[in-house]
Amino acid sequence: MGKTKDELYSEMSDAVVNMEEELSAQLSNEAVESGYDAFEAIDLGLAKGMEQAGRLFDDGEYFVPELLMCADALNAGVEILKPYIKTERQEKKHKIVIGVIAGDTHDIGKNLVKLMLSSAGFDVIDLGRDVPPSVFVERAVQENAKIIMISSLMTTTMDGMADVINILNEKGIRNEFKVAIGGGPVSRRFADQIGADGYSSNANQAIKMANELVGR
Amino acid sequence: MDVFSPKERLQKTLSGETVDRPPVICPGGMMNAAIVDVMTKTGHLLPDAHHTSDKMSDLAYDVYENTGFENFGIPFCMTVEAEALGSSINFGSLECEPKIQKEVFPSVKDVTFLPDGTIANSSRAETVIQAIYLLSEKYPEIPAVGSLTGPISTAASIVDPMIFLKQLRREREAAHKVIDYVTEQLISYAKLMADNGAAAISIADPTATGEILGPKIFDEYAVYYLNKITDSVHELGVPVIVHICGDVRMVKPQLQKLHSKVLSVDAIVDLAMLKKELDNMPAMGNISTYLLEFGNADTVFKQAKHLLSKNIDILAPACGLSTSTPLNNITAFTSAIKEG
Ligand code: B12
Repeated sequence: MGKTKDELYSEMSDAVVNMEEELSAQLSNEAVESGYDAFEAIDLGLAKGMEQAGRLFDDGEYFVPELLMCADALNAGVEILKPYIKTERQEKKHKIVIGVIAGDTHDIGKNLVKLMLSSAGFDVIDLGRDVPPSVFVERAVQENAKIIMISSLMTTTMDGMADVINILNEKGIRNEFKVAIGGGPVSRRFADQIGADGYSSNANQAIKMANELVGR
Repeated sequence: MDVFSPKERLQKTLSGETVDRPPVICPGGMMNAAIVDVMTKTGHLLPDAHHTSDKMSDLAYDVYENTGFENFGIPFCMTVEAEALGSSINFGSLECEPKIQKEVFPSVKDVTFLPDGTIANSSRAETVIQAIYLLSEKYPEIPAVGSLTGPISTAASIVDPMIFLKQLRREREAAHKVIDYVTEQLISYAKLMADNGAAAISIADPTATGEILGPKIFDEYAVYYLNKITDSVHELGVPVIVHICGDVRMVKPQLQKLHSKVLSVDAIVDLAMLKKELDNMPAMGNISTYLLEFGNADTVFKQAKHLLSKNIDILAPACGLSTSTPLNNITAFTSAIKEG
């Protein structure tokens, strides 16, 4: 077809930005057929598109429905490329457990953070919403996660975030995990107060923050 | 002696007549004022009061009496509608509001359409309607405001919200069908509230913010279905209040299309300016709920006076109150307004 690798990657990126699920799958097949490195095709093609979608969301050009559709287009491509990723690259994924703190039902923000982090190459385990502090710790231990991420949209429930850190301290395992928090009423100051390692005000920034926390 | 009873003042305000001073209210539902301070003082407690009309009306009266808000606002949560349509609910605790445990349907295409009147005839709705009846009979001078969870929020409380939000674009026909179904259910529920004495119906639709949906989808779904409910309630001669959460910057032209008698908005919005931009549309709001929770009574009082000076039509909290808001901050707010 005479398409260069870069051209293909940029079309893959556009397919994600334009929410085109089928096209994204089709182009991903093309990448496989051309024998390109699957990890690279995700990283430089699909994920670049998701990054741009995240920027459009920050700029108020895209809203939640659009961002979710971009994620579907991304996933359609990833599904195709995944089986071709060489195993040594697969193992590099850092694990994150994420959830909304107990008492709180607001999970739209958490879900966006999860989706952006997954697209940026993290292995994100979703604990759902209304999650008791002890469950964050149990699951993080079980999963051997690097980062515990907690979301809260309510002042009424945000103190539960500190409980997660207290439990880690009591168990003497605080140093085994990074803890990052976010959500409407949460601030950098609050994060510092409760001794969290990371805070970000939006899903896009959360990627940068997570990368820093794992030293990437 | 006040010239108007609280009910007269609210009703006149909602029909655009001039009154001695704006009412100060808190409509219930999302904007629930049953705070911990009131409950521990009077002993009528949540989550109990969600379940029987006696307890619900007792607590609504306590809130009225202690906070100084000039209305009864019920129910105290946003789960009545979704529970009736099949979702499971966790009723929370004294401090924490009830929430949807799990949305019953994974997609708009899986929704089971129950007969019309399913919300209105549910036991939860009956509690609310009975409480409205009891309160409006016993205290005819105090307006009982019936609160509804808006059509988008209710739909996103019976269908998985992430799938739902995506389907607003991808499965428009099926999405419209579900929201229309929810809307009809809400209308028959609102009508029963009105028939049983509700002086006004207040609709809050937090999932339908401009920030979450964007202007196009906000217009296509939120404005259309909010108006459908509003029109039906207005036909009964009962005024409707609509509350839109969050920053409304990108949906201003859409707000102008709302048929409600008054528009209530969040603290981030400059109400005086919005009023001007929207052809002097009657406005309600918008003292910051964070200020009410964390500020001191003095600051609250000053901020209330500031709002009062801006010719806001109805004074109210900007959005949902935290249950740990101190009572004396709320009374600072209401007394600042009542003093004129
Ligand atoms: C939508 C909404 C709802 C929906 C939620 C639907 C859902 N499944 O999530 C419904 C209708 C169910 C709802 C219910 C209630 N709500 Co509500 N709701 C909102 C609203 C308007 C928007 C939240 C939202 O989704 N925003 C969009 C997303 C994309 O943004 P976000 O959540 O902030 O997330 C971004 C960042 O914060 C960040 N982020 C988020 N989490 C994390 C985590 C990490 C680790 C990181 C790094 C970053 C990060 O990244 C995200 C993407 O950029 C907010 C007000 C507001 N403007 O925030 C009120 C709000 C949160 N609700 C409020 C209230 C009071 C309630 C109720 C209690 C009402 C009632 N009386 O019953 C109930 C909750 C019951 C319960 N126990 O939980 C209050 C909370 C007050 C308080 N106590 O602090 C708010 C703040 C409204 C207000 N007063 O201004 N609500």
